[in-house]
Amino acid sequence: MSRIGRRVLLRWWPRSLFGRVALILFLGLAAAHALTFWLVLQERGQASLRMMISYLAKDIATSVAILDRVPAGERALWLARIERPNYRYVLGTPAAGAPTDSALAQQVTAALANALGRGYEVRATLPRDAGDRALLQVNLRLADGTPLAIDMSPPSLAISPWVAAVLSAQLSLLAVATWLAVRLATRPLAQLAKAADELGLELNGKTLPEDGPIEVSRAAVAFNLMQRRIAEHVAERLRMLAAISHDLQTPITRMRLRADLLESAALRDKLQADLDAMQMLVQEGIAFARSAQGITEPACRVDLNALLDSLVCDYVDGGERLSLTGRIEHSIVTRPHALRRIITNLVDNALKFGKDVEIRLDAEARDRVLVAVCDRGPGIPPAELSAVLQPFYRLESSRNRDTGGAGLGLAIAHQLARALGGSLILANRASGGLEARLLLALAEAVGSGDGVAPSGVHR
Amino acid sequence: MERVDHILIVDDDIEIRGLLTEYLEKNGFKATAAADGRQMRVALAAGSVDLIVLDLMLPGEDGLALCRHLRAGGPESVPVLILTARNEETDRIVGLEMGADDYLTKPFAARELLARIAAVLRRTRMLPPNLRGAAEPARMLAFGAWSLDTTERHLIDAAGTMVSLSGAEYRLLRVFLSHPQRVLNRDQLLTLTQGRGADAFDRSIDLLVSRLRQRLRDEAREPRYIKTIRNEGYVFAAAVMPRKDAP
Repeated sequence: MSRIGRRVLLRWWPRSLFGRVALILFLGLAAAHALTFWLVLQERGQASLRMMISYLAKDIATSVAILDRVPAGERALWLARIERPNYRYVLGTPAAGAPTDSALAQQVTAALANALGRGYEVRATLPRDAGDRALLQVNLRLADGTPLAIDMSPPSLAISPWVAAVLSAQLSLLAVATWLAVRLATRPLAQLAKAADELGLELNGKTLPEDGPIEVSRAAVAFNLMQRRIAEHVAERLRMLAAISHDLQTPITRMRLRADLLESAALRDKLQADLDAMQMLVQEGIAFARSAQGITEPACRVDLNALLDSLVCDYVDGGERLSLTGRIEHSIVTRPHALRRIITNLVDNALKFGKDVEIRLDAEARDRVLVAVCDRGPGIPPAELSAVLQPFYRLESSRNRDTGGAGLGLAIAHQLARALGGSLILANRASGGLEARLLLALAEAVGSGDGVAPSGVHR
Repeated sequence: MERVDHILIVDDDIEIRGLLTEYLEKNGFKATAAADGRQMRVALAAGSVDLIVLDLMLPGEDGLALCRHLRAGGPESVPVLILTARNEETDRIVGLEMGADDYLTKPFAARELLARIAAVLRRTRMLPPNLRGAAEPARMLAFGAWSLDTTERHLIDAAGTMVSLSGAEYRLLRVFLSHPQRVLNRDQLLTLTQGRGADAFDRSIDLLVSRLRQRLRDEAREPRYIKTIRNEGYVFAAAVMPRKDAP
């Protein structure tokens, strides 16, 4: 196939499985139908031709017998009366055409010779002047030797007009059936894709319904099994991380005490710094494993302004440079320890990389609040903005200076934000630096119920 | 020479017991080690223990049960500082509710342990003897429209909304709540607030008081809770009512 041809085919070749299967099915069915239609037409033509030839031979034999018996002078008068729509008689030798022995000619001459009996020589020629729609010319001589020519034209087999209507109705039926069948086959695939998509986001994603046709239900069962296995695998990994982190705490405690007992202050400080780094890894590991298991803390009504302000005060009292802008009018319903942890992680991360860290609090919509933690650090390459929210992901660039920690701080914040029914998005600021945007609902979908006083919601 | 404080270390890890004993002795304490609850009781019976450093994870009877047991012993019981490897909020809260005086998560810096021991000892000695031991029986301290949750270290307003406090604000409020209707000058406030010593804050008491007033939604000109006494200091004007239960 030429390159252009392939390109054309590619252009018309549908991208979706639905389109491809529908196209193949429909074209195949339509071609099969066309073939059938053609076959029926052929068959009908041949059958009627056979019938016509035998009828024609007898009719011509009768006419020849009449002409034989009629006086030569009156023959011309009879010609018009024995003429038929498909053939007419000509006396004499009209300009003879080339002899032919086509299948039709052979059939006709054989049938004629048979009907006329002995004594007649029948020859088939092609009429010279194809002007009139003659198909075949048969030449013979009457008993008295007068030449007779019979001009035959093909029979017209008209197709009834309703055939076209039925045919198009049939084609539409085909189209509808194809569409239905293809949809039936491809829809489970779309559902599977959607479920797999959700699996990436939510480990405890929805299971697929395991009913439907055998193949579909088998795929659903296999998918659900895979989902369970992945969840078990992740849980196993978390348990391992938690167990290792937990068990490391005792040796680290011993090492800390041993270091504190050392005489050399320089060595002691170096060891303590190493132990600080180890301890940070261990604590992040434990915190991550815990955050992945969801939050057990109950929700309560919280003054978000006070929560953020007290947090900022603690940082400032500890000698960090940090500021808070913005207030919201309403209290929110949330899990304060988890929320505090998210913001602490974001602030710690911001302080690690940038000076002038600012927390911005804003009412985002009627029912949502935005807590943005902004820094003036180097930011994060756009391609890696969502990847850094994954556990153990480390940037290769300048942001990954020797800062310690396992890189779990943002992952923990991300997990907890989701557990709170909110979302965490990182973005580079136009003016430089990173902005971590935490969006929270004023009231969590769960846990906003009893015992929570509706203070300050409508002011 | 002044009396040496006697610390009892209860930890199942022999290495940590040895190291802690050595470290505390090096820093001027008398230290005894016990591996479990049984040994702890033997040591308590044997002599005057000033403070117990208690690990939560112990074989047999665990730390929480031991702590509860100690507290049931009566008002004269020994202050307890809990060590926990589990860095879980609930553990801390449960530990403090069981009557522990403070807690420290493993792994800790030895200097931090020293500071905490000193703080707990000082705090216990500041209390009148009849209150000692039953150190903090009330989890909630109610005053005016507010309650202070002393385990979670936050305020709760009349409508039930949680209002967070920074560490410094909490310590200042605790000082006020334990000395209601008493004029406290800035030096006293500073000394009492910096109980822990380690994380001293560099802001003046005045700034901290105004921050605390803001948290309490108190008017600076006509405050209801913390009143300014010119040239003297501050006085906490509301009555304080301890409550045992959480809201």
